[in-house]
Amino acid sequence: MKLPESETTFQIPIGPQHPALAESENFTFTVDGETVVDVKARLGYVHRGIEKALENGTYIQNLYLIERICGICSHAHTLCYSQNIDEALGIEAPPRARFIRTIVAELGRVHSHYLWLGLAGHEIGFDTLFMYTWRDREVVMDLQELITGNRVNFALFTIGGVRRDITPYAIEQVRKGVKTLEERIQYYKKMCAKEVTLLKRTVGVGVLKPSQAINLCAVGPLLRASGVKRDIRKDDPHAAYDEVPFNVITYDGCDVASRLFVRVDEVVESLNIIRYALEHLPDGPIRVKVPRRVPTHETISRVEAPRGELFHYVKSNGTDKPERYKVRTPTLANIPSVCEMLKGGYVADIPITLASIDPCFCCTDRVAIVDAVKGKKRVWTWEQLSRYSEKWHGRR
Amino acid sequence: MAMEGEVIRNAIKKPVTVRYPFEKLPPVEGLRGEPVWDMLKCIGCGLCERDCPTETIEMIGRGRTAEFKIHLDRCAYCAQCAESCPVDAIELTKEYELAAYTHEQLLKEYQRPKNQS
Amino acid sequence: MEAYLKLLEITVFPGILFLILIGFFYEWVDRKFYARLQNRYGPLHTGPGGLLQPFADFVKLLAKEDIEPEAVDKHTFRVMPIILLALPLIAAMYVPVTDISRAVVSFEGDLVFIVFILTMYAVSVFLAAWSSTNPFSTLGGSRAVIQLLGFEIPLAIVLFTPAIKAKTLSVNGITLWQANHLPFILLQPIGFTVAVICFLAELEKVPFDIPEAKTEIVAGWQTEFSGRKLALIRLSADVEMVLAASLITAIFLAGPSGPWFIPPFIWFFIKTTAVILIFSNIRTLFARFRVDQMVGGSWKYLLPLALLQVALVQVLP
Repeated sequence: MKLPESETTFQIPIGPQHPALAESENFTFTVDGETVVDVKARLGYVHRGIEKALENGTYIQNLYLIERICGICSHAHTLCYSQNIDEALGIEAPPRARFIRTIVAELGRVHSHYLWLGLAGHEIGFDTLFMYTWRDREVVMDLQELITGNRVNFALFTIGGVRRDITPYAIEQVRKGVKTLEERIQYYKKMCAKEVTLLKRTVGVGVLKPSQAINLCAVGPLLRASGVKRDIRKDDPHAAYDEVPFNVITYDGCDVASRLFVRVDEVVESLNIIRYALEHLPDGPIRVKVPRRVPTHETISRVEAPRGELFHYVKSNGTDKPERYKVRTPTLANIPSVCEMLKGGYVADIPITLASIDPCFCCTDRVAIVDAVKGKKRVWTWEQLSRYSEKWHGRR
Repeated sequence: MAMEGEVIRNAIKKPVTVRYPFEKLPPVEGLRGEPVWDMLKCIGCGLCERDCPTETIEMIGRGRTAEFKIHLDRCAYCAQCAESCPVDAIELTKEYELAAYTHEQLLKEYQRPKNQS
Repeated sequence: MEAYLKLLEITVFPGILFLILIGFFYEWVDRKFYARLQNRYGPLHTGPGGLLQPFADFVKLLAKEDIEPEAVDKHTFRVMPIILLALPLIAAMYVPVTDISRAVVSFEGDLVFIVFILTMYAVSVFLAAWSSTNPFSTLGGSRAVIQLLGFEIPLAIVLFTPAIKAKTLSVNGITLWQANHLPFILLQPIGFTVAVICFLAELEKVPFDIPEAKTEIVAGWQTEFSGRKLALIRLSADVEMVLAASLITAIFLAGPSGPWFIPPFIWFFIKTTAVILIFSNIRTLFARFRVDQMVGGSWKYLLPLALLQVALVQVLP
């Protein structure tokens, strides 16, 4: 006698509170024993109304709100915003500023990938790798503090250039730090290729074929680990990337182990970019003077954040405040791929598969108010949005 | 077994943890800590209040007699005020140990010196 | 008078109180060594060098609120932590601590009894998970039983090969044989390796902490326990570590015996601490296995090695 389908499966919720997720999102899994049958993702737990708040501040004030969309990729958001407004104003940052932007962006990428390596180790129970990579991450954070004045949320990029110059002492420290980081990452690469338990947990897990990756609009290391060679730094160069030679790393494995090695190799490439940029740093001013009001324009800007392609859109209307600002983060583009990768896998593989796209859910959440009855979209003001959230939380 | 060598070598090294608050690392040059106003230089133009992203700065009055109430619990330590000031009256010091128990402890007031006209 | 002395031995030394205190000490040793291998301090402030940290954790858990969900199976849920604590305490009474062949209780065949208790521990974990009626607990409990399928048979075989050589099935007898001949770690190194690996699976430590995988299924079978019940469960994990270390010492490292210049009790101490350090070292090196990889690996590698050990015992003089 065959049992009906629902008798053998049950549902487990991963999130919003779960040790595997650093931030709260909800994934409801339908499992049959240890095999995952279906996934439903439900986003929106970390929505903070940032896009609406950006309409209330001037362009200068928004610099500091934009960098707080996320803690790890904060430099990518600021870089994208500065480039966006630069283009809307029709000015270009001076060459020295563009090189400094490249150096700090690549330091941010090194930091993000080291952090990810530690988190991936933690998800599969390899706490030693977690402790070691986060110890080495401190080297990068000290360098970032030296260059920009803060360990996170640098506030270095501004409209028209950068705010601080990079001193010769800082250049010397960066060279020393880069040497240490290079030794450590080579050690981790050798160790990860030899460690049997790590390979057993990551090889053949979370497979995403190249055709699936392109159809589901995957971006970043996820796409490059499936063999597709796409990188915004090469396809649409920004900052100083058209003047610095580097390779785009791809692997053909299409699984979590390939994504690990793509990120490790990207760290090596970033360290090479930093060394080249430091040697060929041009002299000159670091910023140009910009007017406070931006003429009426609609511009977009794209940046290769550590997690993939980051996309900003601005609509200006001649005042000193933007009319509409839109942010589309790489994690949002990768969520459909993750749901596809999780089906057919084991429950034990859920955390490492989720972690392999390097999710940054706080970047991701945006909201659109749709009237379900009439099927039309509505636009709310800032006061309406905050009143609604206060009423909703008060009722619970 | 791949990490065995590294792990054994680290067992005899000193741990890398800094035992704050018993041991403290010196803050770097250029750390963006607490903002401080030099009331002798300030001309009361109001540019810092206008450009502050978090409504930290509260000016009372305008011009040479303006005084400040700074809400450090709202400050983002971004240094935009120091950049906007035309007379360089604002400086971000290296003071970072600013934790407090109440909001009132983080309200700093800057008044004009008594002998200034 | 004899009866009163025996009661004192069972409850205080080397009985229940002693086992609990030494369980706290071994947890400290484990955490400190694990931290030092990772280039950090470990427990530091509670007591000298953090010695009182496990005790502080236990007391804190006793003081926390004990939440019992409505849908649990009440009687099983309440009794299981006590059973989980009682099982390793009982088994540890059969292992000689103070002197060679002077365990608190001993009879011919108590090795079989100890192996039975080790199996019952895993079954009790399953019962604790089943009574919790939580999807995460169910997954954790089923993983505990699947893991039991993997390590139980090699462990039993490898604990019995010294008994074959010593021609006695009591732990006291095995330590006595080793005191007169060589310790079994030199005679049966394969057996020692398999025993260490299988005990890691019994204790649910990385790479075999699958039933209690923190990042995968919240806390596995321990999810619904809180407050006093969780304190007892954690204490039972500590006492189980004492049991594993002292059993390996008694069966492979000649128990509390050694040259005359150090008393036997201190020898016991030194040898069990060395075994705990081996466990901690293995804990730092590996990632967590998946349950199907663990069971497959143990039937492909551990069981043949254990059978090889049996064959060697019969063949070599």
